[in-house]
Order: sequence, then C-alpha cells, then structure tokens
Amino acid sequence: MKAFGLIFFVTLFLISSCSKDRNFDEREIHLISPEKISGFDPIHASDTYSGNEIGKVYEGLYEFHPLKRPYELMPNLAESLPTVSADGLVYTIQIKPGILFHDSSAFKDGKGRELKIDDVIYSIKRLADPKLQAKGWWLLDDKIVGLNEWKEKNANLPATNYNEDIEGLKKIDNYTISFKLKKPYPQFLYALAMPYSFIVSKEAVEHFGKEFLNHPVGTGPFILPVFQQSNRIVYTKNPTFREKFYPSEGEEGDDKRGLLADAGKRIPLVDKIIVDVIIESQPKWLSFQKARADLLEIPKDNFDSAVLGGKELAPELKSKGMRLFSNAQLDVTFFSFNHDDPILKNKKLRQAMSMAWDRNEANKLFYNSSAVEAQSVIPPGLGGYRKEFRNPFVKYDLEMAKKLLAEAGYPNGKGLPAIVIQTRNETVSRQMIEHFAKNLEKIGITIKVGMNTWPELVNKVTKRQHQMYTMAWGADYPDAENFLGLLYCPNASPGSNGANYCHPEFDTLFKSATVLQDGPERSAFYEKMNEMVATEMPWIFGFNRTKFYLSHAWLKNYKFMEFNHSQFQYLNVDLEVKKELSKKF
Amino acid sequence: MNKNSLWKDAFYRLAQDKLALISILIVFLYFFVALFSGLGWIASNWSQEVGASNLAPSFDHLLGTDIFGRSVLQKVIRGTQVAMSVGAAAALIAIPIGVILGALAGYFGGWIDDFVTWLYTTFSSVPNIMLLISITLILGKGIFSVYVALGATSWVNLCRLIRGEVLKHKEREYVQAAGAIGGGHMRKLFRHILPNVSHIVIINTSMQFQTAIKSEVILSYLGLGVQGEPSWGTMIDDAKLELVRGVWWQLAGATLAMFFILLAFNILGDALRDALDPKLKGK
Repeated sequence: MKAFGLIFFVTLFLISSCSKDRNFDEREIHLISPEKISGFDPIHASDTYSGNEIGKVYEGLYEFHPLKRPYELMPNLAESLPTVSADGLVYTIQIKPGILFHDSSAFKDGKGRELKIDDVIYSIKRLADPKLQAKGWWLLDDKIVGLNEWKEKNANLPATNYNEDIEGLKKIDNYTISFKLKKPYPQFLYALAMPYSFIVSKEAVEHFGKEFLNHPVGTGPFILPVFQQSNRIVYTKNPTFREKFYPSEGEEGDDKRGLLADAGKRIPLVDKIIVDVIIESQPKWLSFQKARADLLEIPKDNFDSAVLGGKELAPELKSKGMRLFSNAQLDVTFFSFNHDDPILKNKKLRQAMSMAWDRNEANKLFYNSSAVEAQSVIPPGLGGYRKEFRNPFVKYDLEMAKKLLAEAGYPNGKGLPAIVIQTRNETVSRQMIEHFAKNLEKIGITIKVGMNTWPELVNKVTKRQHQMYTMAWGADYPDAENFLGLLYCPNASPGSNGANYCHPEFDTLFKSATVLQDGPERSAFYEKMNEMVATEMPWIFGFNRTKFYLSHAWLKNYKFMEFNHSQFQYLNVDLEVKKELSKKF
Repeated sequence: MNKNSLWKDAFYRLAQDKLALISILIVFLYFFVALFSGLGWIASNWSQEVGASNLAPSFDHLLGTDIFGRSVLQKVIRGTQVAMSVGAAAALIAIPIGVILGALAGYFGGWIDDFVTWLYTTFSSVPNIMLLISITLILGKGIFSVYVALGATSWVNLCRLIRGEVLKHKEREYVQAAGAIGGGHMRKLFRHILPNVSHIVIINTSMQFQTAIKSEVILSYLGLGVQGEPSWGTMIDDAKLELVRGVWWQLAGATLAMFFILLAFNILGDALRDALDPKLKGK
C-alpha cells in the first residue's frame, strides 16, 4: 500500500510540474533531439545531432543561408566570401572585428575576449592534432599545404606543438588568414561551414582540459555554461552576441509563407532554446501532441494517421494549428547497371527497362506517393537541377518499352537472359525489386532478386561481380559534384561509380566543372552533364525522397534545411498564438 | 508371449493414438499440397495480380492480397511447397551422413570413433543458425543452398544417437552369433545391427523435418533463403511492416500454415517414439 501511495504522489507531482512547463512570458523554443549528444567538441561532431547542438553555441567562418534554395553559403564569422587566387589554391579570408567569445572562467576576469585569426588557425590545427583523433579529419586530409606533415611530425612528440607555423595556414594580420591548398578543392568552403571546423578558443580548451566537451565556449548566439550530459539542455541568449540580422531575402515565395516577417531584425529572436533528448518514437510523438515540443520529424509509424493520403494533414491536427512540412531530401534512389556487362551496354535495353517500370505505382506503394520521380542524377535543390527538364525515358509507356526492346535486339524479351539485381536483405529493398520484376515481366524481361548483407553487397559491387544493384545516395554537402561523381569514369569500382559507367564527354566536362567555384558557370556545366547523362540511362533513376516535419503554429521562421546546424538562431515564437492555441492541448 | 514383430506392435500402438492419426493426416495433406503445387496443378499463378493491393480476406480472396495484389492463399500454398521440399531434402542428405558416420563410429570405435565424435562435437558447438548463415553465404543464395546447408547441419543428433545404439548392440548375443557363423564386419553392422536401430531414424526424421522447416523460415526471413519464390519466411518479413497499417492476413496465413505442420510433426514424433521405443514412453 505504501508503495502505491508513493507512486500516486510522485505521479501527482509529475503531473503538476508538467503543467507548469508552459511559459507564455519568455520567448522560448522547445526542440527534440532524437539521439543522445556525445559532447560539445566541434572536432568530434560526426553525427547530425551533436552538430545541431554545437551549432547553437559555436560558429564557423561560413554558414548556409537559412532561406535561399539551392543552398548558398554566406559569411558568418568571415567578413565576406574569400578572395581566391586564379589557380584556385589560395583562399584569403577576413574575419569580422569585434566578435566576442562567451564569458567564461577560462578568460581573464571571466570576460570573453575578442576572436582573432589565431583562434581560426588553432581550431584547424586541432582537427589535425594526432593526440585528439578528430572525427572530422577526413575533411582536410591531404588538402592544406603542410598540415599532414605537421600532423605526422607531432604524432611522435609527447605533446602537440601548436606554435609551429604551417605554410598552408598563414596569418596575414589579426583578422586575415590565407589558406594554401595542395590542389583545387572548390568544396573547401563547405568544409569551413561544417561543425567540424567551428572556432574554439585556446584558453577554454586548456582551462577545461578533458572537461572541455562539457563546457562549450563559442561565439554563437546561445550560451550553455555547462553541459550536464542530461536529457534536457537549456540554452540562453548570448548577451554579448554581435549584431547579426535576419536575412531580408530568400527563395521565391518565402515572403508569402511569412518567412520574411522578421527581416532585418537582430537575432537571435528568442531568449531560450530547450532541447529534450527523446529517443523512442512514441514518447516523441506524445510530447509533440502535448505541445511540449514545437517541432517534430514524423515517426514512421505515425505517418499514416498524421498525414492522410501521404499529403494532407489529418483534420484533428490541423484544427490545433499544426503545420506540415514536406521537403524533398537531397537524395536519389536508383537501380544501377554494371556497364562491364556486355548485355547491359545496350542503351536501348536500358531505356526499355526504364519505361516499363510503373514509378507512379511504386511511389504509392513504398513512399505514400510522397517522393518525386528522379529525372536524372542531380536531385532538386542543387545547382545543376533544372525544374523543366523531363527525361523522355522516365515515363511509364509499355508500348514504347516493347518497341525499344525490339530495337535493342530482344523482341518480346526473346534471347535475353534473366537479369539479377543485387540488394540489401531488407524488406522494402526486396519488395521494390519484386515490384520492378513484376513490371518488367510485362515486356518479357525476367528479373531476379539477389539478397545480400550490407558488406556482401559492397563487396560484390567493388569487385564488379554484379549485373545490377540498388542504392540510394544522400548529399554530403550541397554540391552536385557529390552526385555527378557517381558516374565519373576514374571513380569506377572500387570507387563510388559502382555502375562502372564511362562516358568520355561526360568525364571531360566533369574535370573542367569540378575545379570551378560555385556560380552560374559551374551550374551550367552541371546542367549539361545532368541532362546528357539522363537519356543514356546509366542507371534506372528512381526517386528523390521526402522528409516530413510537423510544427506548431506558434513556431515562426521554420524552413526545412538539410544542413541545419546553424538554423536555430533564426527561429521565433509567437506568444499570442501560443497562448491562444494552448487552450486546445 | 507376444508373437508380433516390433513393427506390427508399433503400428497397433500408433493406430490407437487418435492425435497421432490426425497428425499423420495433416502431414499427408501438406505433402499433397506441396506435390500438387510442385507439379503446377495448384497455385502456379501465384505471381499474378488478383486484385488491389492489401485487400482484406473476403469470399473472393480467402486470405486477402499482398502489397502487389497477389493472392496470399496462393503464396501460402507455394510456401508449403518450399517448406516441405526443404524438409524432405534436408532429411535425405542428413540421414545417410548421420547413419553411416554414427554406425561406423559406434561399431569400430578407436580412431574412427574419436574422429567422428570430434567432428560432431565441433559441429554442435557452433550455434546452428550461424552455421547455416555461413554455409548459405559460401554456397550463394537459393533453394539449393538451403537444402545443402540444412542437410549438412542437421545430421549431428542422429549420428550421436545411432553411435550410442550401435555401441550397445555390438556386444549383444545375436551379433556375436552372427560373428561366430562367419559374418564379417559389414554383414554384422548392416545386416544385423542397423535394422535393429532403424526406429531411431524414423523418430529422428520426423523431428528433423520440423527443424528444417523452421530453419528455412528463419533463413528466408533474414533474406538468406529462397529467392524470388514465396516462402513463409519472406511473408512474415513482409508482414512486419504491414502490421502497423493493420494488414494482418499475410502474417496469419504464414504462421498458421507453419503452426499446423510443426505441431503435427511434433505430436507425430512423440507418438512414433512411444510406439517404436515403448521403454521411453512418457519420458
């Protein structure tokens, strides 16, 4: 009985403390992190979730524009975009003066000092420090002159010597640095916008030592004096944050969506961000339903009840003012041919196979009709993708498919041996090939499924022991080079071009395009390559998939972002709406 | 004094066990379903669409349809063919290996016994499913590998039992008598001892059959079993995603089909043991 009494009181206490949660006076945002946060050391931010938290406290030289799509870099700690030498090897970057680190006991008198270029050099060196084994080292490995040598030299020393100058990291004055690269690396700026290369201060690293990962001291819009490895992280507004303003331009239509209402206002717009770590999907869902979280990625199991027909938000959610965000991910799914196979070198056969596949039905069966049919390699949202472009062979047309198959030399599939598609032994992957096989049977082509464990599949593809295989590719950074490289001949197996596709003209274009800086010229190159390769059908193009988010009506300025670690400072909350709608929860 | 032979006795005992008779009936039913499906008389059109995607069971489609609108009932029947053929093939491979190795080890003893004992203890020390997975990985995917993998792993128990029985029998008077009138080793072993331990093979086969069916379902569920053919394992794999949407019929069809045959084999195995080896009854 005693135990029951205790449980009763504890429950009562929990209920009463929960209802106090709602705060209508302070501008605060409640978010959910679906994974535990490993710590606040930027050089180890290998997972999205740690990156998202680090992005609230630390900053990089560059960041992605929160509204503009395709994704565009804009200066953050840097004053402007860099000046790049004609050979693309030297990047000169100036940082803004007057940026202050957070107040911390690591500094003299506890007052944060000004950010200088030495901090940038120090932070880059930390990535290379052999004693720290940074998870982000791959980003700069073999890229900056002298950095690899410095790393090797220090590997055998008892302590890393940060005082030694490195040729590729040259301090010009207190606010200017010049990076010297070993070879052109146009994605270099993306590397500087990733959490790995966010700027830390030497004092804090030395002061906190091993505890540094729990004591983030950055320059960012929010402060977190101590990270207590708990399931709730509370950030407060950084009182010494520099003057930074909400952007006044975005993508077409952002104006109508109310995303420019705060244009020109000083950020951050909220006083507090509260992040709850909730791993299980049902508690996440319930927490959002009780308005204890403002934003949620819809758990897979709740999709059908929340999003009717894969498109429309369910009426009971709509009536509470919730909004649905569905956004194409930067990814593409495909069935890849192995172009080593003499049978599959036949272009008409590849085109016929593509046209016999009812993508509309596949989309309905596997993605609740939420995916977009991929026309070529580059997904929407990246430079090089053209909305109007339609691939004539990405269309369900059985008659045309039969005709092409006959032209390929296999009328009604006669004489064509069965084709095996290798995939991961996972339910949906298998079902998708079964669906594909069922479709192709109609024109007389026999498809067989080959199931593999993940390492087995990778092994088959790298050793070229496959006829076809299925894959989905997601962007590492917003540059179509990341996708086009999948068809570049020198990348053939064991590289990322598992199709072993070679097209001399494509390769020439690729070589000239990838050393270019981002801009219309490079986009034109990408467009040309994307559309040239589309009709060649090096793969059977599948889908660009969609992610679904729900937000409450009072959360303002949210826009889906693939690389979202710096996005949170732009969010806002409408307290009036929150007060009004909260009655419904 | 009962003058009936062991086999006749066993038959009478079995015939009195109603549950065993029902089990035999079920086993035969499954065999015929599998046979007819194998001959293409039934369920040969399983890959054809018969209706819309994921239709609930109705009079037209007794077990509903799957994600591609194929009849679940036809898939269950086709899965029966796969399961029964796997059981039979595994038994056909495992019995000769188990009987011959067990008999040789038990009869000759010495280094042969040492070797066989070492071999089967090694085999049985590796978790069965791991062994199965590695064999299918080496042989490649498909139903043939499943046959071989299951055959190659399931002889151990039979081998152990036969070895023990032969060890017991080889000192018996009838064997000594056979030796006294000039019978050689092979004659003693195969003509005299083996027929007297053969009931173990029958009991064991019935047990082995159901182990093979279960293993096939597990392998197919993991994507290592049959490819491009319906199997109860792949059906359960499909169902695990569909259940959230309330599509239960594929899971129900596959598990019920599995349930009845496994139960039947289990009861039959027990009944056979009671009938053929009455000393063990109730143990």
